[in-house]
Amino acid sequence: MNMSDVLLAFESVEIRRGMGIVVSDFSLTISEGEVVVLRGENGCGKSTIIEAAARILPLEKGKVLHHQKVVIDSEGRRNTPNVPFGLTLQENGMVGSDTIAEHLSNMMSICKIKTNLAPVLKQYSLDHRVNDLISHLSGGQQRKVSVIAGLLPAMISKSARLILLDEPDAGLDDAAIHTLCEHITSLRLAGHSFLIATHDERILNCATRINDLKQDVEQTPPQGEVWQFPVVELTKSKNFIQNGFTYNFKTKSGFANNGIAGFLTLGILLSLVEPMELENLHGLKMGFALLPAFVAGLCGDPIVNLLRENRALDWWRANTAIPRAVVLPMVGGAVLTIISSYIFLENIEAIVVIVGSLSTLFCSLIIGFLQLTTNKLSRPQAVFIRLLTPILILPWSIVVTELTTYI
Amino acid sequence: MSGKIGIGFLGFGFLGIMSTLYLGLMWAPSVAIDAFESPAAQRIFYWHVPSAWAAFIAFAILFIGSALWFFKRSPTGWRLHVAGAEAGLATGLMTVWSGTIWGSAEWGTPWDWSDVRLNTFGLLTLLALFLVLGRRSQPDGIETRDTFSTFGLFGFVLVPFTYIATRIWVIRHPGPVVATGSGGSLQSDMSLVLLIGAISFTIFIIGHILTSMHITKLEQRVELLQNKIDRSD
Repeated sequence: MNMSDVLLAFESVEIRRGMGIVVSDFSLTISEGEVVVLRGENGCGKSTIIEAAARILPLEKGKVLHHQKVVIDSEGRRNTPNVPFGLTLQENGMVGSDTIAEHLSNMMSICKIKTNLAPVLKQYSLDHRVNDLISHLSGGQQRKVSVIAGLLPAMISKSARLILLDEPDAGLDDAAIHTLCEHITSLRLAGHSFLIATHDERILNCATRINDLKQDVEQTPPQGEVWQFPVVELTKSKNFIQNGFTYNFKTKSGFANNGIAGFLTLGILLSLVEPMELENLHGLKMGFALLPAFVAGLCGDPIVNLLRENRALDWWRANTAIPRAVVLPMVGGAVLTIISSYIFLENIEAIVVIVGSLSTLFCSLIIGFLQLTTNKLSRPQAVFIRLLTPILILPWSIVVTELTTYI
Repeated sequence: MSGKIGIGFLGFGFLGIMSTLYLGLMWAPSVAIDAFESPAAQRIFYWHVPSAWAAFIAFAILFIGSALWFFKRSPTGWRLHVAGAEAGLATGLMTVWSGTIWGSAEWGTPWDWSDVRLNTFGLLTLLALFLVLGRRSQPDGIETRDTFSTFGLFGFVLVPFTYIATRIWVIRHPGPVVATGSGGSLQSDMSLVLLIGAISFTIFIIGHILTSMHITKLEQRVELLQNKIDRSD
């Protein structure tokens, strides 16, 4: 392994948070086999640097490179790194409805490698809970899973990987911190690199360099055993549609978020009119047949809502593309339209079902896009994004009119 | 100083708007009895058209401010964005509210979801509401300003769209009565009241924007001083 390869480089980076410049003219390079620990008082910008390295925060000036490739710069470019990296955010970035195995499997899928993680989980006393939901774990156990997910790309790769850990010690017991220090040392000796923000003296001792955001101080790290590379097999990574489908199918969030609204709309329509009363009102009948699917779509992308938990959205965005619900909204829209067509149109036309299905899909994708646009705000849930949903009513009414004429 | 000028404009504009309202309701000639379904309701047009005019000025200010912030990170640009959004909300609501009253009387329905012009204008007003409420729900910061200025830029695409819609997709909403390029279709007394209305609303909107920019500037100064106090503790 060529130890001179640079895995991470900050070039004259300036980052704002709120109205203030938190990090100014910051430069740092991390080569293979280095552990750089960021140290400083609260609010000095340690987490900001980690999140900029993970492409979560925009840069005011400068650029960040992974393996000599620009991954984010002040011009707004944001490129997916060629080499996967590990990330543990201050919030865990995990979805409570995933099991430990599923969350770690997601990380392995991003790395396109899979292995048996039982020995690692045993070291962190989590082997007996591998199939438990993350939401059922204690805060400390959840933190352990988040740390293991952060270390995974290095643990399962023979070539050098970059690992970003933001306060990994927060909430961990002494035994887990001891294990973490051992892993940092052994993975460093295997050529992997770390950028860690911490106040913990034990992790500080693992560093080859300590950086206070102004200057580097080199130190001699402890020696230990080189990481024993496990038996692995190659696997395909899932794309954002497959990941979205998995989340949607498993959590039924599409039904909870969109489907119920569609069925409620159908129920309300039925409470207002007798379908027989609409006999000659073809436009109204068509509108009623398509309305439940449209309303279901207006509820937005259920996966975007789901991933807002514990900054899972940022975790996915940093590592790969954000999962989106595509398949099930189409199925749900079709089911709702079949039922409402049967009730209001008294027959089921394929074209109406297709239009209903697509209206759910497009509406949920557009609302999801608007939700993602506001995600970098401090309080994305507090913003009144639904005020913009009427933009979809006019195109929908045009489609209803055209379809009525066509049929 | 700019605060006092703004308040002066606001007051003067307000008096003009009240005069327009009086002239429009009491003095301007009535339309022909067979010209509209509800001829008396047509008088609301002396309020509706100038307020729509003022709304377009406000939305233009919103666009300029958003662009200045987004591309130049200009603090004045952000103040213009905030002022444009607030003024756009106020005048947009005036327009929509007066339009729905007229629609109820003339069309028998306050709103027509199939009318492109109504919908794009309504959406612009909702965008202004989104920007005003959204900004108040977030702490001030670069992320907040970047996000909302992006929406401000996006929203302005709807302005030329609304303008074109006025001319192409006339479904229920009447076509333009001013700036038609053929001298218009109004009597001179009607035009005079409309002109007074347009000038009054323009003065009012300038006052609104100046005052709003002044308030935003003061808010930013307070925040700066608070931060200074925080750092000195």
